[in-house]
Amino acid sequence: MTERILSTGNDAVARAAIAAGCRYYFAYPITPQSEIAHFMSRELPKLGGCFLQSEGEYAAAYMVLGAALSGERVMTSTSSPGIALMQEPLSMIMTAEIPAVIVDTQRLGPGTGTGGQQGQTDYSFVTRGVYGGVNYPVLAPYSVSESYEFVQLAFHIADKYRTLAMVLTDFVLGRMTEYLDLKTFDFGPLPEKDWALKGKDNKGGRTDFLFTVTGMMLDIPGFFTQQQAKANKIIESETRYDTYKTEDADLIIVAYGYAARASKRAVNLAREKGMKVGLFRPITLWPFPKEALRQEALKAGKVLVVEDSPGGLVDDVELTVQGGAKVRFLGIQARHTASAEGLIFPERILQEVREML
Amino acid sequence: MAEKGEVIIEEMFCKGCGLCEFYCKKKCISMGKIGSGGFPIAEVSNPEECTGCGICGWMCPDMAIEVYKHVAGREI
Amino acid sequence: MSQDTAIEKKAVCKRPPFRMLPLGFCSGCHYGIIYRVMDEVLEELDLKGQSICIGGGGCSTMGAMAMDLDAFGGPHGPGAAIASALKRVYPDAFIFAIQGDGEQGAIGLGSFVATAARGENITVITMNNACYGMTGGQLAPTTLLGMVTPTTPVGRDQNIAGYPMHGPELVAPLKGVAYAARASVHTPANRQKAKKMLKAAFEKQTKKLGFGVVEFLSACPTNWKFSPVDCSQFIEEKMVPEFPLGEFKNRDKKE
Repeated sequence: MTERILSTGNDAVARAAIAAGCRYYFAYPITPQSEIAHFMSRELPKLGGCFLQSEGEYAAAYMVLGAALSGERVMTSTSSPGIALMQEPLSMIMTAEIPAVIVDTQRLGPGTGTGGQQGQTDYSFVTRGVYGGVNYPVLAPYSVSESYEFVQLAFHIADKYRTLAMVLTDFVLGRMTEYLDLKTFDFGPLPEKDWALKGKDNKGGRTDFLFTVTGMMLDIPGFFTQQQAKANKIIESETRYDTYKTEDADLIIVAYGYAARASKRAVNLAREKGMKVGLFRPITLWPFPKEALRQEALKAGKVLVVEDSPGGLVDDVELTVQGGAKVRFLGIQARHTASAEGLIFPERILQEVREML
Repeated sequence: MAEKGEVIIEEMFCKGCGLCEFYCKKKCISMGKIGSGGFPIAEVSNPEECTGCGICGWMCPDMAIEVYKHVAGREI
Repeated sequence: MSQDTAIEKKAVCKRPPFRMLPLGFCSGCHYGIIYRVMDEVLEELDLKGQSICIGGGGCSTMGAMAMDLDAFGGPHGPGAAIASALKRVYPDAFIFAIQGDGEQGAIGLGSFVATAARGENITVITMNNACYGMTGGQLAPTTLLGMVTPTTPVGRDQNIAGYPMHGPELVAPLKGVAYAARASVHTPANRQKAKKMLKAAFEKQTKKLGFGVVEFLSACPTNWKFSPVDCSQFIEEKMVPEFPLGEFKNRDKKE
């Protein structure tokens, strides 16, 4: 029997990590996700785990790498400026193939002082992978329950493929409160972690060397071939998306995160007025659900991309659609007010839909 | 009677740094031999003087040197 | 005169069981000597079975690769942070991080000091060769005044690049630090002292007394452009006066 509680998105992220068996969490405070650290600092010691506040985001991600060398489930969370600082350690994690989970509670960029501002400006940054061109899966929830489920899924994907897995939430998702049914998801069997470092005595005398030097043991092209093979497996098995009322749609909206929530309401408002509108919601931003989107887009003929940014998601949509449908972008200029509280509301999306149809 | 030592140099590991020659108090080692890499490497040029103190072995940065002491031999 | 036909040989100095030989260091580099001292101390304290070595981002990783231990190597700078986190997972394992003087005093300075301040039960071993070795000998926090490097072509000038930094002395006053010392291996006598210091540092970790750091002066013939023998002289005459050898902190009880 599951317990139903009221939870914010940030708390749901923390609860999910604990449900997934994560007992080691390293982070640095940054708005709008410090509540994840607050929760973990309270709860992990009770479970015999460890929360350590690091000396910066760069150190937090390296601490994740360090603890994850043991094979344990480890997580960090941060926001957009922190993701920028973490790029080097994330690249090391991908090169050494250590499973790890990171939550990016994105906020407005560029610059600083934007902790109190919603934004979806990280899309391009996180979907192009780490430096060196190696991609990691990115999951984009649009509700508190999805935040909870996807963090657990991220741990599963990370362990299954020996990769970094990211959950991309945002300011609105992190701080909003919804009902949450607590449960521990079982996503299936996982391979043994025989690569982990444990000390000779615990491995029958065998020792391993895990390394971040690209192509050290293989040749360079061999390394990239191996990475591409891994990426192909992830693309084949882990691509996820959701469609809402797209079967007969003359126009589909493509959005993720809080913009997808506003878009869903816009779809309902439009349908009330007799307009045939649907919503295509990519859940994995990488791997991007290209085939599914292309099918839906060509069927509808008109695509409206909604993202609270100057552009990002729309590039991938245009690449996917390849001129087969009309694509329009509704972005940061559509916020309801020019000041920090600006958000893209369903009525504004509806206005754009009307113009297009 | 002074102890007798024996030094064995693994030529594949010797990089010709010369530290063994520098530290040997008895001048048993010299960089006199040209190794397979074409550069001077260490050789035991004066084995009779070796007391087996071990310093050359411990100071070798490449673990190329092993040192033994001869325990008194048996009469036949 | 008796005939010695059966001679028993007692090993005085045997090759340690490194998994990868020859080592990748330059001819005359002291890293090989230092790694061997580490290996001896780990063996004598019976720590090998529970050890995990974190190599740094530079020459030091080649040693982490070569020792027969579970090891990781190596990004440039965060060794202390990585070791801290792994120790939180394995509080009873022996975790040590090896870094260069640039990692300790520049890019990794934040993690180095924060780790010392937190009193993490890990040991950091810093290799001080007064330059950034692997990248070609550029200015490092420990480069001596007047020393010529590719980024101080007319010699280190304190008005431009400040003064050399002393890592162990810097963190010694912190409460979390149980042991801070500097050693060298440029003479057999110093090698013996270095081994004692390393043993003392390692014992702070096994006794869970707090953070330990041992900085080793090391020759870098390739970048100093001296012969290995002249490098030992340089260490004696120029480096030791700037970077004194010995213990700066050695506490026996938990703070």
